[in-house]
Amino acid sequence: MDSIKQQEESGIVKNKLQNRVLNKFFNNKLALIGLVVFTFIVLATIFAPLICRYHPGKIDVINALQPPSAKHILGTDKIGRDVFARIVYGGRISILVGLGSALGAALIGVMIGCYAGYKGGWLDKIFMRISEIFMSFPQIILVLLLVSIVGQSLWNLLLIFIVTGWGSVYRLVRSQMLSIREEEYVQALRAFGLNDFIICYKHMLPNALGPIMVNITLSTAMFILQETSLSFLGLGVPLNIPTWGNILNVAQDLSILKENWWIWLPVGILISTFVLSVNFIGDGLRDSTDPTQQG
Amino acid sequence: MNEEIIITVNNLKTYFYTNQRCNKAVDGVSFKLKRGKTLCMVGESGCGKSVTATSIMRLLPTLARIEEGEIIYHSEEGDIRIDQLAKNGKKMRSLRGSEIAMIFQDPMTALNPVYTVGFQIIESLRYHTKMTKRARRKKAIELLRGMGIPLPEQRVDEFLHQYSGGMRQRAMIAMGMSCNPKVLIADEPTTALDVTIQAQIFDLMNQLKETYKTAIMMITHDMGVVAELADDVVVMYMGNIVESGTVEEVFKTPAHPYTKALLKSIPVLGCGKNQELEPIRGNTPDPYNRPEGCQFNPRCDYCDEKCFEMPNDFKVTGTHHAKCWHYRKVLENE
Amino acid sequence: MLEYITRRTLVLIPMLLIITFLIYAGLELTPGDAVSFMVSPDVLANISPERLEALRESLGLNDPFVIRYFKWLGGVLRGDFGYSLTSGVPISKIVIDRLPATIELSVAALLISTVLGSILGTLSALKKGSMLDHMLTVAGMIGVSIPQFFFGLVAILIFALKLGWLPSGGRMMPGYDSFLDRLPHLVLPAFVLGLTMTAGVMRYARASMLDALNKEFIKTARSKGIPEWRVNFIHGFRVALTPVIVLVGFRLPMLIGGSVIIEQIFQWPGIGKEFVAAVRGQNLPLVMMIALFFVLAVLIASFLVDFFTALLDPRVKLD
Repeated sequence: MDSIKQQEESGIVKNKLQNRVLNKFFNNKLALIGLVVFTFIVLATIFAPLICRYHPGKIDVINALQPPSAKHILGTDKIGRDVFARIVYGGRISILVGLGSALGAALIGVMIGCYAGYKGGWLDKIFMRISEIFMSFPQIILVLLLVSIVGQSLWNLLLIFIVTGWGSVYRLVRSQMLSIREEEYVQALRAFGLNDFIICYKHMLPNALGPIMVNITLSTAMFILQETSLSFLGLGVPLNIPTWGNILNVAQDLSILKENWWIWLPVGILISTFVLSVNFIGDGLRDSTDPTQQG
Repeated sequence: MNEEIIITVNNLKTYFYTNQRCNKAVDGVSFKLKRGKTLCMVGESGCGKSVTATSIMRLLPTLARIEEGEIIYHSEEGDIRIDQLAKNGKKMRSLRGSEIAMIFQDPMTALNPVYTVGFQIIESLRYHTKMTKRARRKKAIELLRGMGIPLPEQRVDEFLHQYSGGMRQRAMIAMGMSCNPKVLIADEPTTALDVTIQAQIFDLMNQLKETYKTAIMMITHDMGVVAELADDVVVMYMGNIVESGTVEEVFKTPAHPYTKALLKSIPVLGCGKNQELEPIRGNTPDPYNRPEGCQFNPRCDYCDEKCFEMPNDFKVTGTHHAKCWHYRKVLENE
Repeated sequence: MLEYITRRTLVLIPMLLIITFLIYAGLELTPGDAVSFMVSPDVLANISPERLEALRESLGLNDPFVIRYFKWLGGVLRGDFGYSLTSGVPISKIVIDRLPATIELSVAALLISTVLGSILGTLSALKKGSMLDHMLTVAGMIGVSIPQFFFGLVAILIFALKLGWLPSGGRMMPGYDSFLDRLPHLVLPAFVLGLTMTAGVMRYARASMLDALNKEFIKTARSKGIPEWRVNFIHGFRVALTPVIVLVGFRLPMLIGGSVIIEQIFQWPGIGKEFVAAVRGQNLPLVMMIALFFVLAVLIASFLVDFFTALLDPRVKLD
């Protein structure tokens, strides 16, 4: 408090950035750390060929189950593949699945929620019922059920995540729209005789962007966790594609769990770190876009 | 020290620290509260009235603190420096509710919805009196009856949502008066009520003042309320007291341009439709971007170069003070 | 109150119809013949093609889809869930056999997460802005960021494989079947599931408590000069409690999701493990029926939550 008072009295206002939202976000240390870690890991997976000495699929049975050494920094797995390379390349798929599903679900949820929330009536009721049905299934049960119907593949998984994930975005956007709809300016736009689509997508949607961004971030974290859990069970991305979950799959074997920590421990810690960084970003966004938050 | 004075506030400064900024909500306020008198504190919303009251009660939120000045409670056992007590310490708690009580604007939010009204009145008695459980309950019923609530034996066990608007505020006053406090601070107690009930509540408060010699500090933005209830008036603007005095002095001979403008901007009941009302021009300044010197200068008709310096507190008469360089001009310019 | 309950039940019915209809549609997608999940596989093994055709006719398998659906629904209502493709055991028997284990684990985890979560959350709210609050907030974030199975693996490695304090999996050894005998097996999975759920409860309890503490009536209570603990607990916590209880009910989907994974890691013989096995074995009838069972559980739980909230809040009583 004293430092704030001094600043105020000496006339220096610390905040040079004009945007209050950005300002609060960059004042949040955890969010900033999250952003740095997130960027670092994403860049590492994008430039995977530059930082890995081995191909993630290269089998080398003679050097199987090697502990970490100068040659293989994180050792090798049961069939001699370099664990480090698999982690870095695996990150590509895992992040793609997480981010892709979150964006896909958000796209559908926003498209429907924005229009249905604005128009209301039977259209809104129908989508509300559909989303209720989706929400009454525990997420992982619905995902597994769909996996068993459509079969296991990378694209199927992405599709299933989108199908099971749009409901929450839809509800969020809808409730935002319901409150924005009551604002004076929307009435004014309607009085001008503007097209419904222009009113809701161009004029109303930008006012709901804060919560949507937060939702996208947090559901990215959730989908990454789900992908790893499903792949760990052997029911997610097919096992021949390296993903973070698939690398961990072998840890179901108690002897690997006990003797060969380098195969599963580093990747588990990496997943946790990555998801944590995404959650920090989401939390920072939430705090900075929420006008009721003070302090 | 004068026997009649119960609370002295000297140069009180309370600042808020939110969003990395410092808001000087109350910036040097001094006044005295007298036994058996009603002091009305008027001003528009955000001028620091409520903050002054909560500073006296030491109920400020965690992001606010008292920077300077003193709040002295002249109790029978000697003076107590309220500003130096621990915020929720034992001493402060023993004053709250028993010596100084407060009632709030909206009883619907200020009373707990999940407990009965009786429970909330009894709670206060429990910590400030040595009554038995039965005596406490009896006292609660008595209090409700005293406030004119019908069927108090039954009402005492009812919840807030079962009360009507006027009854809620009366129940709140009953709670405030339960330990016969020496000081009652009322923060806009009638803003949420309609006019007929307002009049009942004011009657009630005047009775209390006369029977128990309670000092009442009434916070309001309604000049009508002031005219009806006040013995003394304090006018606040942007965290400062701009004018203070008895109700006649302030209403008949306003010495500060703000008070004058305020009185001109409200209709007087019974003067017909053709009153000339003059709204105060301009807007209340941003508290983070205050004008230099007198806070009222951008909106003031009397403003000149001198006003860019903070004016002193000028004595108009023995009891009447105004914080304006040009108070003589304001007085003469009737 | 009665009217409220009836209205709430009436809303459930169309929803259940749609969900069961979807589940049935899913069942019809089963590769092979629909007979396979309506008739015990033992009977099916020694049957001639003509008899089979007659059986189809008599079972109404040649009826239109909607009629077939209602017949199937009638069966489900009478407790006839069909048969597992792989083992031929009636699905109702599988569910009943596995249910106790799942309930045992879920109740234990729910207890741990609710008690720990509301205590830590309340503490965090009361000490808002303090070191403890920051630490708990960060710990909570870490808690929701670690994959449940990874947390489980680390727990197994430390407490079962390295220290050898607790068994690494299973529910009971042959011959030991009292609850006390089973307890060591329960400790690890229950704590792993409970702790991963604690973070959510803690966060929610904190928000709810802060919300309650920001209410006007807290200021009023304080203005009466009553002790701080009374302000915080009698006035604040009591009001914050209702949403936390609501959350307990709404956490059932999370609990089910978590138990699926935890049961797999700890080889806990519950419905979740059966479900994973069914998905792996392409045992679609079993998958569908267990999913239906979970949905029913969730819907009933949310119904009960509404009911108890109405009971807890004196304001709702009048309606």
